[in-house]
Amino acid sequence: MDKGRVGDETRVPIGSDVDILTARQRGRALASELGFPNSSLVLIATAISELARNIVLYAKRGEIVLGRIERDGHQGIQVTARDEGPGIPDVGLAMQSGYSTSGSLGLGLPGVRRLMDEFEIVSGAGKGTTVMAKKWKR
Amino acid sequence: MKERAQRLDEEYAAALRDHLAGEGEASLQQAYELGRRAIASGLGLVDMAALHYQAVLSLLPPSPGPGEYARAIEAAGAFLAEGLGPFEMAYRGFREASDVLRRLNETLEEEAKRIAHALHDDAGQILVSAHLALESLAADMPAARDQLQEARGLLDQVEEQIRGLSHELRPTILDDLGLVPALEFLAKGMAKRAGIAITVEGPRDRRLPPPVETALYRIVKEGLANVSRHARATRARVRVEHEGRLARCAVKDDGKGFDVSEVMARKGERGLGLGGMRQRLGALGGTLEIVSSPGRGTELQITIPVEG
Repeated sequence: MDKGRVGDETRVPIGSDVDILTARQRGRALASELGFPNSSLVLIATAISELARNIVLYAKRGEIVLGRIERDGHQGIQVTARDEGPGIPDVGLAMQSGYSTSGSLGLGLPGVRRLMDEFEIVSGAGKGTTVMAKKWKR
Repeated sequence: MKERAQRLDEEYAAALRDHLAGEGEASLQQAYELGRRAIASGLGLVDMAALHYQAVLSLLPPSPGPGEYARAIEAAGAFLAEGLGPFEMAYRGFREASDVLRRLNETLEEEAKRIAHALHDDAGQILVSAHLALESLAADMPAARDQLQEARGLLDQVEEQIRGLSHELRPTILDDLGLVPALEFLAKGMAKRAGIAITVEGPRDRRLPPPVETALYRIVKEGLANVSRHARATRARVRVEHEGRLARCAVKDDGKGFDVSEVMARKGERGLGLGGMRQRLGALGGTLEIVSSPGRGTELQITIPVEG
């Protein structure tokens, strides 16, 4: 896998805690470049950490892709977490707050959804998981 | 737990020291991890603030040089913000859940209203028709008069039950006349059934927003039910006040009282339960205080903010 930017995207392979650090760093740098305020940088870094953490925890390896996005003159950041791990058999259930220990504390995927403006997840048993989360600059 | 908190203290201070030494993202990631662990071990925001303060105190140089102090404060602030990221997630989850609960309550209340009115009006209409049909039948068949009379007696019982159920679901008096008249009506019935003197005080001419009236009605009802079930009281007093942007309501009895913390810890109560009352109020931004101790009666103090 390619490290660094591909077109307008930054790919960070995730396989260990050290990679989470890299993903946070790149994400924060990109969001800062886009002009997000400091408070948003914290939220974006937190969301990236949760997503990367999930990859390490459940899929062992995968990647975080960071990209700048634009819509109707607004700029934003897109964080995509992709893995080919065991996948989530019931996504709806997984997004409920009581599903996992971290979820019941408001953390995990449901937490990421609340930190970002848009959230999409595609997964299935044996199909891996892709999460796309966007945050727009206000 | 205490040991765990202590370890968290030390790790927090160590990570903050790294951050002040310019470790950058690595120490920020640590702050995030520590925040996450703090939540998992039950620490609150105030604990985090205290922990942060202690760490900062222990790390600041005794006589910082010019500029050094400001830099340290700024870096420490960024570190704290990062550690609070997980709390922000949890807090947003709480707000969302609270919103969902409020909407759910409103939906249930709407549904109850609909069913109550349908029972009251539609089923009532059918019963009237049944009565008329039996009446004309009785005129045609004098021989069956006694049996038909019996059937009409049964219909009256059905009507009584339907009226009771409809009222239980959603008292129309609450919609039509408001909270205080509805509470007076409720108190009258309960006083009769339980043999307790219950007084209701409050403004009869001012209406509160419907969700507030509904919540107060349900909670007072639950409170009075508790009084009649458990308190062995001789009298109870319900007081409703509306001052500025707050609606207050108190339910006080002269019964045997109870140990509040012990009862709050209990689960699987009938009805809303005290915890259920709190949740219901929480969804409206309100609070419930319970003042009680064995032998000294009980007072529920409810406060709900009212818009505008």
